Amino acid sequence: MDAIRTENLTKKYDLGWRKGRLLALDKLNLRVREGEVYGLLGPNGSGKSTTLKLVLDLIAPTDGAAWMFDVPCTKVVSRLHVGFLPENPYFYRYLTGAETLQFYGKLCGMSGVSLQKRIDEMLELVGLAKARDRRLSGYSKGMLQRIGLAQALIHDPKLLLLDEPTAGVDPIGSKDIRDLILRLKGMGKTVLLSSHLLAQVQDVCDRIGVLNLGQMILEGDVKTLISDQRRLSITVQDLPEAARARVEEAVRAAGASVISVEHPQTSLESLFLDALRKDTRGAGHHD
Amino acid sequence: MTETTSASASHERVGFSLNRVGVIAVNTLTEAVRQKVLILFLVIGFVFIALSVFFAQFTFGEQFKFIKDTCLGVISVISTLIAIVGTAQLLPNEVENRTIYTILAKPVRRFEFLLGKFFGSLFLLVLSMIAMCVLFAAVLGIKEQAMIRELSQTYLGETAAAKDDAHLQIKQIQVDALDPDLVKAVLTDLAKAVLVAAITLLVSTFSTSLVFNVVVPFMVFVAGMLRGSAAEMWGAHRLLMAVLAVVPDFGLFGIADDINLGKAVPWAHVSEIIVYGLVRTVILVVAAHLIFSRREI
Repeated sequence: MDAIRTENLTKKYDLGWRKGRLLALDKLNLRVREGEVYGLLGPNGSGKSTTLKLVLDLIAPTDGAAWMFDVPCTKVVSRLHVGFLPENPYFYRYLTGAETLQFYGKLCGMSGVSLQKRIDEMLELVGLAKARDRRLSGYSKGMLQRIGLAQALIHDPKLLLLDEPTAGVDPIGSKDIRDLILRLKGMGKTVLLSSHLLAQVQDVCDRIGVLNLGQMILEGDVKTLISDQRRLSITVQDLPEAARARVEEAVRAAGASVISVEHPQTSLESLFLDALRKDTRGAGHHD
Repeated sequence: MTETTSASASHERVGFSLNRVGVIAVNTLTEAVRQKVLILFLVIGFVFIALSVFFAQFTFGEQFKFIKDTCLGVISVISTLIAIVGTAQLLPNEVENRTIYTILAKPVRRFEFLLGKFFGSLFLLVLSMIAMCVLFAAVLGIKEQAMIRELSQTYLGETAAAKDDAHLQIKQIQVDALDPDLVKAVLTDLAKAVLVAAITLLVSTFSTSLVFNVVVPFMVFVAGMLRGSAAEMWGAHRLLMAVLAVVPDFGLFGIADDINLGKAVPWAHVSEIIVYGLVRTVILVVAAHLIFSRREI
């Protein structure tokens, strides 16, 4: 069973009198399999958020249809096993973290001790246990994003829809969210992730689909899509200069060509995180 | 965890849940209570009600009538303002802050959401009116005690006949202060405010502008207040009368003046007014639901 399936899903927005209609999504045929992390990529306005809104029945399709776990998305029951984190989420600022989760838990029919236990688990999972009694008006953007993830997970859904989950979050918060998505994948959850941060998607997604101007222009397995089968990279350590020359010679003798020889670089993100890790002052705290 | 827990989603059901309506209503009330504008309206109401006892001293006779006129007027105006302003921002705020996405992404029906928001607004209305009525009753009580004390001192050491006269006057003060018909005036006021809130809810389901959501219900309310006079003036104009027929007759709810003038207002008449308001409220909420269920968010 697919976690999400769409058939010719199309959405046109009326732009107003005599301005015509904007084609936001054009005959999208999407399949997200159970247990995978699927990345929906694309520039701003490509139709990513529209797809999520259509799946959640927040807007109605102009044509086509969508299903979650084989249930038409137009039915309320289709949302029983779904958690959603919108882009740049805002919550009720006068509620504390724990009260926020209580509100969303009750909406999902949870109550009593089981709800309290689940709230504790979720706050622990997203690293907000210490901020549980703080009002959301005092939360940073990263903390709001994490409480958003906690509310999406409160009823233990099988499917998570995350719309730009790391938008506006600092590199540490971004890494935390990425790690959390991988943990959720390990727990057997299906995740549909919309993003335009390609490096991040590459790290966590099994499959990706690229949307542009409302159309799916590329789709497939991440590893297959990004690997270049004609090229091979070998990383060695402490190779003497003479040995390097012999390796290059052997490569040429085999009829292949050396494209580049360079020292591998670390990513800026790794450098940033390493620097913070090595800063032993450690008295402060981040959100 | 969820209402139904069978293995396959296709066999599960999500019925209408009053529990979810209640959760949203309580949350809406909490949100409203923390809004300064609504609290400001209530504080202004408290100030006017409290001051009425002071200004009543400058009236010649009929001090209770002055207090009742003022307090019922204040309760009517403040409850209407709270109904409009409190309801007008419910849906626009949810859409603007995107909290509606996280709520409707849960197994929550749009009708449950709409009813929850509306009931939350009504809770606020009822609590505000109870608070104002408690203060109104306290003001009447204070005035009653002050007048009885003053009268007792005036007649101190007088003849038995004079004391009998004083006793009769005290009884009259007590009757004036404790008029059970005031409950009728407050109940019809509440029904009127609920109807105003329902009009505002309907407008806010198709408009995202807060100003529009406040101005239009206010204009409908004013038109409804003038409906009786307008019908007399423009009775011959069919088109105008057809437009007026859609507007609720808010003039019907104004029984406070009759009560204050000592006219008999039977419970049957009060019930008719309340039913008139409730029927129109239900129609408006159903219309709001029909629009909101199709609205793109």
